[in-house]
Amino acid sequence: MESENRNRRGRKYTNGEITVYWKPDACVHASHCYRELLEVFDPGRRPWVDMYGASTAEIIRTVNMCPTEALTWKWNDEEKNRDIDPSNTNHVNFRRPDLLKNDSSANAEPVSVKIMPDGPVVINGSFVLKYGGKEKNVDESIISLCRCGSSNHLPFCDGTHRKTGFNDN
Amino acid sequence: MEEVKKEFKPQAIVEVLEDGPIKITGNFMVSDSKRDIMDSPEEVYLCRCGRSGNKPYCDGSHKT
Repeated sequence: MESENRNRRGRKYTNGEITVYWKPDACVHASHCYRELLEVFDPGRRPWVDMYGASTAEIIRTVNMCPTEALTWKWNDEEKNRDIDPSNTNHVNFRRPDLLKNDSSANAEPVSVKIMPDGPVVINGSFVLKYGGKEKNVDESIISLCRCGSSNHLPFCDGTHRKTGFNDN
Repeated sequence: MEEVKKEFKPQAIVEVLEDGPIKITGNFMVSDSKRDIMDSPEEVYLCRCGRSGNKPYCDGSHKT
C-alpha cells in the first residue's frame, strides 16, 4: 500500500536483489549519488539509474547517503527487510515522511547548513527563509540553495553546477 | 495543503540577499559533506555568485 503510493510519482529500479525507489520531487541536488557512484547514478544517462553498474553493497551504501527520501531502497526478499539496522538511513523502513514529521524531538535541533563540494548548500531543519521579498516557513524540511550563480531557478539549486563545471577552488 | 498541527519553531533565519550572499543567523551549524563541523557561528554569509576567494564564505567579490 505504502510502496504503491511511493511509486505513483517516482520510479523503481531493481537488480533482482534490491529495489531502489526514486522520487524526483524530493531531490535537492545534494549530488551524493552520482559523486559516489556514477556507474549506477548518472544524471546524463537515460535511464539514469543502472542497477547493474555496481555491487548491491555499493548501491545500498550510496543510497543511504541521500539526505532526502529521493532515493530509498529495500530488499526484494521481504524476509530480509524485517530486521534492518538503523544505520541504513534510506531503507524504506526508516525513510518515511510520516515518521519524520512526527519526530517532535527534532524540533530544537540546530539547523544543519551543509556545503556540498562543487555543489549547492543544503539546509535542513526548521527555519525562516527570506528571498525576493518573500518569507517562507521551512518546517523540519530540506532546501538546497545555489552557490554557483548559474541556476535557472535562483535562489534554489537546479543542478546546473554540474553542467557549468563549478568548483570550490 | 493540510493545516499545520504542530507549532512551528524556527531555529534560524536564512536570508537570500539581493545580488549578494546568503545570510544565516540563529541556531545552526555549518559542515561539509562529511558532516564534519566547520563552524558554529552566530552569523554567516555564504557566497552565492561562485566568485569568492574564500568559499564557502562571501568575500565581497560579487560587487566587482
